[in-house]
Amino acid sequence: MTGAEVAAFWYDGQTARRHAGVVQWRGGDDLILRGADGGDMAVAIDDLTYVERGVLDGAYSRRADDGFRLVFTGAVPEELAARLPGGQKFGKWIDRLGLPKAAALFAGISAVLLAIVLTAPTWLGPRVPQSWERRIGDAMIGDLGNRLCHTPESDAAMAKLVQQLDPGRPITRVGIANLDMVNAVALPGGQVLVFDGLIQEAENPDELAGVIGHEIGHVRERHVMQAMLRQFGLSVLLGGLNSDIGTGVFGIAAMSYSREAEREADIYSREQLARSDISPAGTADFFEYLKDESGETPDWASWIASHPMPEEREDAFRDAVKKNHAYKPALTGAEFAAIRDACTNDKDVEEFDFF
Amino acid sequence: MDENTLRSEANSAFGFYGTWREFAPIAFTNLLLIIVTLGIYRFWAKARERQYLWSRTRFIDERLEWTGTGLELLIGALLVVALFVIPYVVATQIGQAMILRGDSVAGAILFIAPLLAIFYLMGVARFRAIRYRLGRTNWRGIRGGSDERGFRYGLSSMWKTIAGYLPFGLAIPWSMVSLWNERWNAMSFGPMPFRSTSSPGPLMKRFLLFYLAPFLAVAAAAAALLAMGLGIGLDGDFEPKQAPIGFFMAIFAAVFLFYFVLGFVWLAYFAKFFRTVVGGMTLGELEFEFDAKTWDWIKLGLGDVALLVVTLGLGFVFLGYRHWKFFVSHMQAFGEINVDALTQSTTRRDRHGEGLLDAFDMGAI
Repeated sequence: MTGAEVAAFWYDGQTARRHAGVVQWRGGDDLILRGADGGDMAVAIDDLTYVERGVLDGAYSRRADDGFRLVFTGAVPEELAARLPGGQKFGKWIDRLGLPKAAALFAGISAVLLAIVLTAPTWLGPRVPQSWERRIGDAMIGDLGNRLCHTPESDAAMAKLVQQLDPGRPITRVGIANLDMVNAVALPGGQVLVFDGLIQEAENPDELAGVIGHEIGHVRERHVMQAMLRQFGLSVLLGGLNSDIGTGVFGIAAMSYSREAEREADIYSREQLARSDISPAGTADFFEYLKDESGETPDWASWIASHPMPEEREDAFRDAVKKNHAYKPALTGAEFAAIRDACTNDKDVEEFDFF
Repeated sequence: MDENTLRSEANSAFGFYGTWREFAPIAFTNLLLIIVTLGIYRFWAKARERQYLWSRTRFIDERLEWTGTGLELLIGALLVVALFVIPYVVATQIGQAMILRGDSVAGAILFIAPLLAIFYLMGVARFRAIRYRLGRTNWRGIRGGSDERGFRYGLSSMWKTIAGYLPFGLAIPWSMVSLWNERWNAMSFGPMPFRSTSSPGPLMKRFLLFYLAPFLAVAAAAAALLAMGLGIGLDGDFEPKQAPIGFFMAIFAAVFLFYFVLGFVWLAYFAKFFRTVVGGMTLGELEFEFDAKTWDWIKLGLGDVALLVVTLGLGFVFLGYRHWKFFVSHMQAFGEINVDALTQSTTRRDRHGEGLLDAFDMGAI
């Protein structure tokens, strides 16, 4: 019959008293702990778990009671050692595979997930029905209430402009936001806002047409839906990192995507201008103005900017101008004036502030 | 004194004998696994790190043991996402939509209510983290914990923090000390409750120094500018477009000093705060003491910065080690402890870790 007696000490998890004595094993499923102070205790081997106390120094705890600690001070015979549980190092799954294999496996899974999240919006975005996007957009921002400038004349002029840039597909809504900033945005749900500040800076309706064409391009190419999907996917996936690594990766991925989208929107804008026989020269002038406003930027800045450099965009629109061609103006002088004066003439328009 | 009463002498109660060479393999494999799992492994990484640090920490004659697991911390984090992050995101999105629709009042409420909830939960989180850590710390097989769950403490934390700021911030030391006492008086180890009875009186001198430092700094800067102005006036050739480099250096030095001096003065206050509140704590017959001076805290901070700069940030895996070592080596305990009377804690343990605290990125103590 196998059997052994090994010197050991233990804590029973009931008091902080340290028991010293021997562990008796008769080859069965139980260990008897016999203390020098007389206290005996029986522990099932299956109930034991291994815990690391130090680098070369292990102890056993019990599943039933994590206060229990058993430390062998004598040599454990091989037969008993074979029955005792082993420890965990990195965690159950990783220990089973080994660290290099597990790390490679996790890296592979993570790379696939990242690839899916980064590419899915491009093909999934255009497949989301327009009506869904419209509903999501309406839920997020609504109709913006009274903060858009309307007069009957400006509405008619804007409708004419949109009809030229996006004919027969009245999915986009273009509004004039009562906000003194040189900017324009495409919001979820096909809502395009041109800020009054930009309209006041525009020297002719062609310029305005190019900018609105660009924003409609974002809507048409489903960039807003794609951006929402991408942001959602990345924030879920990288939420676990909870650190600057996550936000850094997120920022770079979102940016590089955004530059590509801006180029696509510019291309759409030029196509629509050409189709409606509106001159791209006005838009080129607008980018020239932006370039002068922002000053000379070094080339490396394009890597971290959300938009392509104004200079590059100016050149692209300038090159699209057909030589010796008589374009027709996007709007008549009176129509352009109606849009320019929309915010002044709309008496009950509200300030576009968020509180 | 019978054989089962342990006596704790000065400089002997707590000891830390880990080495960074031993810790490095743990830190670097943690870093690797955190990266390849997009961060999910960090819960297990934290458990492994604590297991090592606790096992290298001695109290009187026996090592500490960390019995928490990575799974617990993951569950804690998932609970926070389900109960808090998702409701928060939904509420702020709806609030934003309502404000855009012009329903400012309801929108503002939906914006402010989650902020109040954060304020409340930060207190709850701090309480529950101490409770969790005590509940997972074994010494001679005995653990600590608390019978309270921290929800009432969250309310105290709210009103005391506000009350601390109301008299122009002058009651901040009172609120800090009073909240510390309240937290620790609810904690226990084995059958013995912690008692914390500090008062903010000894802190006021250093707090006033911190409080007045900006005014003194502004006065000093004004004097310096005046002196420079006089100097320039005597020379009579100050060209704003070609200001001498010394002028910019002076402004730069002033801004730099302003922030650093203020930081150091705050550390001077905080060092005193920590010495005071730890010194006011007892556990049964044991009295505690913390002996880190301002300069020790400054060295810890500068060491952290140097480590991060030299390793281009990757050294962050060693920060936990550094902070634990700092904490343990400055901790002292005096008095006696009877191991037969130290019976197992009857406090309840939740099966989830300090998710909230993690979410708010705070320290426990």
